Amino acid sequence: MNYGPLLFLGILFTLASSWVGLVLMPNRQLGGLTPDTSTNAAGVVVVYPQARPGEAQQGAEIYRSLGCVYCHSQQVRPEGFGSDIERGWGKRRTVSRDYIYDKPVMLGTSRTGPDLTNIGERQPSVEWHLSHLYNPQITSKGSVMPPYPFLFEVRPVGARGPSADALKLSGEHAAPAGFEVVPTAAAKQLVAYLRSLKTSSPLPEAPLPRKGESDDAKSSATATNTPASK
Amino acid sequence: MSAPSKTLSALMPGDVPAGDGRRALLAEIDASCRVPVLFFVVSGLAWLLLGTLLALVASIKLHHPGFLASWEFLTFGRVRPAHLNTVIYGWASQTGIGVTLWLMCRLCRVPFVAPGLATVAAVFWNLGLTVGTAGILAGDSTSIEWLEMPRYATPILFVSYAMIAVWSVITFRLRTERHLYVSQWYLLAALLWFPWLYATAQIMLVMEPVRGTVQAAVNWWFAHNVLGLWFTPIGLGAIYYFIPKVIGRPIHSYYLSVLGFWSLALFYNWNGLHHLIGGPLPAWMITVSIVASVMMLVPVTVVAINHHFTMWGHFSKLWHSPTLRFVVLGAVCYTLTSLQGIANSLRSYSEVVHFTHHTIAHAHLGVYGFFTMVMFGSLYYVLPRITCREWPCLGLVSVHFWACTLGLFLYVVPLSVGGFLQGLAMNDASVPFLKVVEGTLPWLKLRTCAGLLLGLGHLAFVANVAWMLARVFGPYRKPVVALLTGQETPVVVGK
Amino acid sequence: MTPMFLLMAAGSLAVPAVALWALRWAVGHGEFQMPERAALLPFDEAEPVGEATDIILNQRTSKR
Repeated sequence: MNYGPLLFLGILFTLASSWVGLVLMPNRQLGGLTPDTSTNAAGVVVVYPQARPGEAQQGAEIYRSLGCVYCHSQQVRPEGFGSDIERGWGKRRTVSRDYIYDKPVMLGTSRTGPDLTNIGERQPSVEWHLSHLYNPQITSKGSVMPPYPFLFEVRPVGARGPSADALKLSGEHAAPAGFEVVPTAAAKQLVAYLRSLKTSSPLPEAPLPRKGESDDAKSSATATNTPASK
Repeated sequence: MSAPSKTLSALMPGDVPAGDGRRALLAEIDASCRVPVLFFVVSGLAWLLLGTLLALVASIKLHHPGFLASWEFLTFGRVRPAHLNTVIYGWASQTGIGVTLWLMCRLCRVPFVAPGLATVAAVFWNLGLTVGTAGILAGDSTSIEWLEMPRYATPILFVSYAMIAVWSVITFRLRTERHLYVSQWYLLAALLWFPWLYATAQIMLVMEPVRGTVQAAVNWWFAHNVLGLWFTPIGLGAIYYFIPKVIGRPIHSYYLSVLGFWSLALFYNWNGLHHLIGGPLPAWMITVSIVASVMMLVPVTVVAINHHFTMWGHFSKLWHSPTLRFVVLGAVCYTLTSLQGIANSLRSYSEVVHFTHHTIAHAHLGVYGFFTMVMFGSLYYVLPRITCREWPCLGLVSVHFWACTLGLFLYVVPLSVGGFLQGLAMNDASVPFLKVVEGTLPWLKLRTCAGLLLGLGHLAFVANVAWMLARVFGPYRKPVVALLTGQETPVVVGK
Repeated sequence: MTPMFLLMAAGSLAVPAVALWALRWAVGHGEFQMPERAALLPFDEAEPVGEATDIILNQRTSKR
């Protein structure tokens, strides 16, 4: 093989093939996806998915900046493939349309921590999320998630008593006497984002499992553990 | 073994017997590479040390989450991408480029063209990396795996890359050896593929993000191809040169190398989407990648036969040549990591190991066991020739080799097993998630030990290189010693 | 859809055609003759086949 131009052509053609197949074709097929409009059982028109409200979108930026994606996936594999649905990480598999507003899409490749696709539904409590971020050992003893003390401010309790959003901590994690732990704006945004993560609406290409099946899934989930620690 | 004077003269610009054109050319080429190649390699080593440090911090954090937790810039989610970017773009890419430049000059048989251009390119590359790594630690990471460097850093890298591409085209056009060796196809292919991959990914993911999961498709098309179409061809190109060169025997079958190259070019670039098995993308995209991954059996088998049969009967030379040790270890790891990768791409296997530390072990077997080992081996060959200095301390060579080999083994084997067990536990919904986490801890601690060993190896190597450079640029310039015999030869240095 | 279909049909014919042409060209120009000679390219008179390089470790043991 001594003829340079032939080599060049071959090199370019081979990559061009997958560039068309795995870049252009997916963009052609999925790049124009739009939200689904349907009418639910109560006769209400539902549009899904919807863009996130402002605070949750700011929280997505915090999530990106702190690199949460390196331990938490946001994708639910289909029933019978892994235990995603049995663990209660989602009611149905996720599909491309669930992600049309995500920039960047943070599907994740690691589950050092649990999947977060549906965390907003599994754990709606703001207090829980804030304590968990302040120190994961408070809510999930034995977790390897790092604490995020820099998302909180430890400050002296004001003259009017503890502020409304101070964390209710006790035992070894409690703030020193006369001090309180207050979430920063970033912490609140991050929690708003986590609580916005919900994929429980059905889509034509990914319907919710029928009544009986979903009951099974739910009961096995509650039998094993609380959703929060899963 | 031949007479020492012969090889020595090949190494010595300015001390070459008249009338021996070939030898003079080799020496001239090697000497002409000195500044640009050293620039890439030395900065690559600096990034290797930083990357190793970041890796250790990240590794410790995974079993002691409270470690350095109060500083935002050192949180796990920033240290981990900073580690990846420093070792991939700082160490592996820069050293790969350095070795590529030298190989291109030697195989094209032209002295280094425009060393200033390549050196400026190296300066820009390091500038871009510094800005990019600082950006990640400061919180501007894109959280797109393998592309974390923020958008204000990547154009600098691209300018640098464009200069390298221009350089390689010029060198290729000026070649005095018309025939192309198999290493050159691989290197040329890598140099052409990388900018295409990087530009596509930057534009479609960072500059003007495409919609939804198309990003995931582009992301994994890119990330897998950085391994398959950038590191793999550079590594294989180096193996195809150094094994024959060190043992003094042509490769086993040239036919097979042709087949290996074109089958790699055809199949590897379709592999990427096997990273999304079970994910929210249409089945055809993932299936086509699985098929292509299985087809990788062809180039992998062909390359394995070629490398290992070339070595046949010459294994005793492993005892004497550091280059051969590292390069052959790299070649073996290439075969292993490719087979492991093919297994990982199967749906039934991926169901277990996807999302676990098994994938991390696999990635390190590829980027470290294969590519980094081949680069270490290449540097053991290249550096003495471009600096005209012996390796100052052979003991450090042994420390480097054994620490890295042992560290690699201790990293990959336990973490592969631990990751597999983690996957089994995770797929059993009756095991609470925190139990799964607990089960990974011993393996993760072992990984930190492995990281310490690798770090020790890196320090030994860097010390040896620094010592060598001190003899070139420092105040105590030592006379050159013949490379083959270790016998001291009086030579005039500093022409 | 029709132009897309035509494009794909034309493409699926053109790619093998180009490949076949390239193969014919390569065979015609002797690209496949004596390829084993290309395996000798890393070697030259200064460092010929049969001469090992980079033999630097464990010298003393090997000489005894």
